[in-house]
Amino acid sequence: MRALLFRRLLTAIPTLLCVVVLSFVLMRLAPGGPFDGERALDEETRAALDAAYGLDLPLGEQIILYIGRIVRGDFGPSLVYRDFTVSELIAQGLPVSLTIGGLALLLSCALGIGGGLWAAVRAGRWQDEAVMGAATLLTALPVFVTGPLFVLIFALGLGWLPVSGWEAGSPSHLVLPVVALALPFAGAIAKLTRAGLAKALNEDHVRTARARGLAESQVIARHALRPALVPVASYLGPAAAGLLTGAVIIETVFALPGLGRYFVQGALNRDYPLVLGVVTLYAGLIILFNLVADLIYGWLDPRMRAE
Amino acid sequence: MSVYTVDGLHVRIDGELVVEDVGFAVGAGECVALAGASGSGKSQSCLAPFGLSPGIPAGSARLGKTELIGADPATLRQIRGKDVGFVFQHPLTALTPHLTIGAQLSEAWRQGGAPPPSRSDMIAALDRVGLDEPENRLDQFPHRLSGGQRQRALIGMAIAHRPKLLIADEPVSALDASLRAEIMALLDTLRREDGLALLLVSHDLAAIGRHADRLVMLRGGRVEESGPAARHLAAPTSAYGRELVAATPRLTDPPPDLAETGAPLLLAENVHVSFPRPGWRRGRIEAVSGASLTVHEGEALALVGGSGSGKSTLARAIARLGPLDRGQVCWREETLPERKRMLPRYRRLIQPVFQDPAASLDPQWQVSDIIAEPLRHLRPGLGKGDRAELVGATLQEVDLPAEFADRLPRALSGGQSQRVAIARALVSEPEMLVLDEATSALDVLVAGRVLDLLERLRQKRNLALLFITHDLAVARRLCHRIAVMEAGEIVEEGPAQRIIATPAHRATQKLVTASGV
Repeated sequence: MRALLFRRLLTAIPTLLCVVVLSFVLMRLAPGGPFDGERALDEETRAALDAAYGLDLPLGEQIILYIGRIVRGDFGPSLVYRDFTVSELIAQGLPVSLTIGGLALLLSCALGIGGGLWAAVRAGRWQDEAVMGAATLLTALPVFVTGPLFVLIFALGLGWLPVSGWEAGSPSHLVLPVVALALPFAGAIAKLTRAGLAKALNEDHVRTARARGLAESQVIARHALRPALVPVASYLGPAAAGLLTGAVIIETVFALPGLGRYFVQGALNRDYPLVLGVVTLYAGLIILFNLVADLIYGWLDPRMRAE
Repeated sequence: MSVYTVDGLHVRIDGELVVEDVGFAVGAGECVALAGASGSGKSQSCLAPFGLSPGIPAGSARLGKTELIGADPATLRQIRGKDVGFVFQHPLTALTPHLTIGAQLSEAWRQGGAPPPSRSDMIAALDRVGLDEPENRLDQFPHRLSGGQRQRALIGMAIAHRPKLLIADEPVSALDASLRAEIMALLDTLRREDGLALLLVSHDLAAIGRHADRLVMLRGGRVEESGPAARHLAAPTSAYGRELVAATPRLTDPPPDLAETGAPLLLAENVHVSFPRPGWRRGRIEAVSGASLTVHEGEALALVGGSGSGKSTLARAIARLGPLDRGQVCWREETLPERKRMLPRYRRLIQPVFQDPAASLDPQWQVSDIIAEPLRHLRPGLGKGDRAELVGATLQEVDLPAEFADRLPRALSGGQSQRVAIARALVSEPEMLVLDEATSALDVLVAGRVLDLLERLRQKRNLALLFITHDLAVARRLCHRIAVMEAGEIVEEGPAQRIIATPAHRATQKLVTASGV
């Protein structure tokens, strides 16, 4: 366990380095630059700006300087939002994204695992068909359809909830974006749980548990559920990182000041440090969540624990 | 006074009658065996009355005074938890992988309403079923235990709540010969000491003869004969019973009549095979250390040993299907090239047949394509028509009708699949077959017929056979010579009769005892 953590942290460093270098080069390959606007800047101003931000140095040197800075935790200044550093922008956007994404993650797990379990126990009956049909529908509907639809029905039509905005994270403003974001994930998790449980309930060890005289609820809870959740865990690793670092569409539909917005804006404006900062954060989270998924595997099935 | 009485039992699965009018009674301390080929309804007869199979039972099955047929699921559950214990076939899958042995034992213990066991209670329970280091085992997950250890743990759990009746569904079929004997002896002890009634499901008539008091022989869901086990095995009253008894290889059978063998064909000398340790640990595990053997033309040589003795690894190294560190293999004076340089010319000579017929056939391929595949690689000069002709002839040689050519593997039974695998090995006209437990996964009757087929092919084609098995009785039926392996070394080798009559090495003696002489 400790060895696994140590090994993962050790391999995380070169992985992150690769991500940083690759995205650095890719960003620079894209045409245009941060100071290109409708009106071309005169040569002198442009050279002065480039010199100020170190953009006139050779690319290799820039990469090394940049890596040296992020090792010290400094992601540099934003080139477009002139008065802010990238760290400040992330510090503003991340809590919003984490709140929305974290709540959506919890909700989708609760709905998905609960629904999948409920359907699996009623395998072959109409309730099973209904839940699985709904799950398919949810996975098929993109958030740019459900989001505006929810706004139309629950905000504009019924007037129960606000249309959009953040308002320092007031609960009523959270409901619609969280639900809209969670539903497709809930559908996928429900299908995975249902399939995993149907398989697990036919395993030999479940028959042994039944032979032991356990009630069916205990058979499921103690003997069948954990093996059934293995596919869910492998789905959740990458999905969680995506959810938490900001769902661009949801943030746009509900006008939320999350990280996703900065990421897209940064890419469009060629705000190199901003994009690199968000990419590094995203890569770090992916590595972290895959590690968490591996730890969960080990708990679900001890055979998967690293030697 | 019988503990469990079954009378006029019928079981239906999806409307189809799979058990018809079966009856028997098991008394305290008594062992009744249900025997028969696969699909004869033995497991269904045992499990359906207790609600452990999809089968729907009718008739009568009484545990003490309680009628099980028609009882509601909650009552059946209570009965399972309190009065009956179950042991199943596959120790590898019958235990829950994510719960420790201790957690599962404690769970089984409490089902009958007993208070939770203390740690020392559980250690004593595991010690009783002969599990070594019981203290440590409690905190281990099942995958840390070997097959035999898991089966002991499973038995410990099955008797933890002190049941009156123990139902053992093929409890030893997945284990090797010496473990089989040990587990059966354990069941005997428990039966004697606790007065446990034992209902044993088995297709192994030799084991039934040693352990059961009474025998019920089933065929197609009906009782063919039933009565005292010893009498019915010595003189079966039905044609089916005679066929089953005849198909069961026993060490006491008269010696088979085997043809003379020819000149040395394959000579393996001082073979070493090792594997790197798993994970990040250094060093290698020696699987075969310095084994040598010779196979003659037309000779059947049995390579016998317990699980993990290195017999499969050695055979794979010889056939150039697995790695080989040191040593050399000669084929008629010529040294065989190493694995990656095996030309079709050499590959054609030695062909393998594996244990699990279902797993060794590609489920997407038709039988004719499966059999023809070696020809494409080993005899590329052959035209399409010739290939089809050869495939047809080979199908006939393994006693499969010609219409099997366009079937898919899932439409074949275990025995038929193994015949297809044998045909695939034969089609390139090899001079030697390497058979890795080729009959172990098959039922007695089917295995007997496959053994007969192999013997016939050996004579007709003057084939050499390297026959890997853990069962001495099977080896004796087919093979001229036996080589016994233990811990990666060949510890004894000689003519089959001599090895069985006067085993010299401790490992051989253990195997002979396990086969019940």
